[in-house]
Amino acid sequence: MVVKQETKSMTGNDACSYAALFAKPDVIAAYPITPQTTIVENLSRFVDEGKLEAEFVIVESEHSALAACMGAAWSGVRTFTATSSQGLLYMAENVFWTGYGRLPIIMPVVNRCLAPGWNIWPDYQDSMAFRDAGWIQMYTKNNQEVFDTTLQAFKITESKDIALPSMPCLDGFVISHTTGQVDLPDPEDAFEFVGPYDDPVIALDVENPWAYGSMTGPAQYSKNRRDLIVAMERAKKKIVDVHKEFEEYFGRSYGNGLVEPYGDDEADLTLVTLGTIGDEAHEAIDRLKAEGHSVNALRVRTFRPFPIEDIVEFAKKNHKLVVIDRAASFGHEGPLRIEVEAVLKRHNVDTSVSGKIMGLGGEDVPYSAIIDLAKKELKE
Amino acid sequence: MIEIIQISRGGSGGVTGAKILAEAAMYEGLDAQAIPKYGSERRGAAVEAYVRFNNAPIRIHSPVYDPNHAMILDISLLDRIDISKVDLDGVIIVNSKEVPEELKGTGRKVAYVDATGISQELGLVLSGFTLVNMTMLGAFVKGTELISFENLEKAIRNYWGEKRAPKNVEAAKRAYEETKVVRA
Repeated sequence: MVVKQETKSMTGNDACSYAALFAKPDVIAAYPITPQTTIVENLSRFVDEGKLEAEFVIVESEHSALAACMGAAWSGVRTFTATSSQGLLYMAENVFWTGYGRLPIIMPVVNRCLAPGWNIWPDYQDSMAFRDAGWIQMYTKNNQEVFDTTLQAFKITESKDIALPSMPCLDGFVISHTTGQVDLPDPEDAFEFVGPYDDPVIALDVENPWAYGSMTGPAQYSKNRRDLIVAMERAKKKIVDVHKEFEEYFGRSYGNGLVEPYGDDEADLTLVTLGTIGDEAHEAIDRLKAEGHSVNALRVRTFRPFPIEDIVEFAKKNHKLVVIDRAASFGHEGPLRIEVEAVLKRHNVDTSVSGKIMGLGGEDVPYSAIIDLAKKELKE
Repeated sequence: MIEIIQISRGGSGGVTGAKILAEAAMYEGLDAQAIPKYGSERRGAAVEAYVRFNNAPIRIHSPVYDPNHAMILDISLLDRIDISKVDLDGVIIVNSKEVPEELKGTGRKVAYVDATGISQELGLVLSGFTLVNMTMLGAFVKGTELISFENLEKAIRNYWGEKRAPKNVEAAKRAYEETKVVRA
């Protein structure tokens, strides 16, 4: 039975902090200065007001924020932080440490573009730079999905058979600072869904001491990385299972949790998207259909692990994919397009793929621009 | 879908006002969205915010380009809004003691109120800036009749809490009563 929920008006950052509050992390560490967001600002207030019993560690840099989280995660407690753009870059070394060390940390990233050109608006260049850091990455389309995904992330990341950190991604300003509606469950119901973190992936145990991060020879090192590869593969099923369980609790779903298809199963043109552009594309598709065009969409919700099978299955039934990227791999194409194209080639799917990079540095991508793109592609 | 553009000066509470308006629309049973346009905005600079109401989920994340209604919290910013883009049946809500010269003879529906005067009388001044945001929400509700005053009041009370709500509700109520709606 779906639990009782109340519709509230709040920003995407607020939605994210409520998910964290309800999951009751034991340790939150943050550097409280720009580009940090109101996500941790809210959480520090919740701790101050006694709504959340957590150790809130204020550190001197983003690098230290994640380092503090790593220590906490090693000790076996539920750990949370959040970051954005330059802050994420400053964490770089520890982002890889966390991923390769399989530390179950939840760290939402408010996607904002990178300097130079000081600009506070969204694109995915920041999180895309950490594609290979061993983190689960899920991109969200609205405030509700931010809440839902952050809550799900705890359950996925902290599973013993997964043990991979999670980076729920939300578009800077377009979600983070925009007020929208979010159906919030009672904190108790949300916590019941997540469950207590009482069987930790890893934990400090003086009776059974271990050393981490010591010298590791090639044989053990490569085994560790292979384990990570396999864990990412397992994470696909876990994401689907947790998403299904979430739907049973809260009555909301986003495709199967990995990809969210929209419109007819088969169409002349398919828009492949990430994040809020996916939501905007749904609006574009309804308008295109009303004009008699045959267009559908596939929003990639989970970017790591990459939902290869789902993309292949969807592409097989369709004729032409147009991938919209909100980031660039300079010297090549947009990262999503590169991967979609590669996956189809490898699986001998001859559906054509083209792409367009849009929305860098917060450049607006209204549904009208998506309609124009679709019409141009339909003609070609 | 109803789309609103609001322009104010940084420090006068425009972004907060847009947020509260979205919440009031939610109590009306609508899906609502408030988008602040941040950049290098600072105290005294022109700040835009956009609000959308819809009776179905809003999937648009862009700024508002062709508003149904426009709210101008500081009359000196009137020329920053392209009135020709505002829907012909829409309302232009201005913080002004009278119909602004620029709008006279345009046939536009104008809702005007001396929001600065009301707010100052109630002591809604912070660091030298008169907070006209709640006052102008009262004028918006009167001018557009899209939201009931009760739902606006509920959103204001929820945002400001018991201690600070009364003055803000009073500001909105006075504007609601004093706003004049005319064809300019």
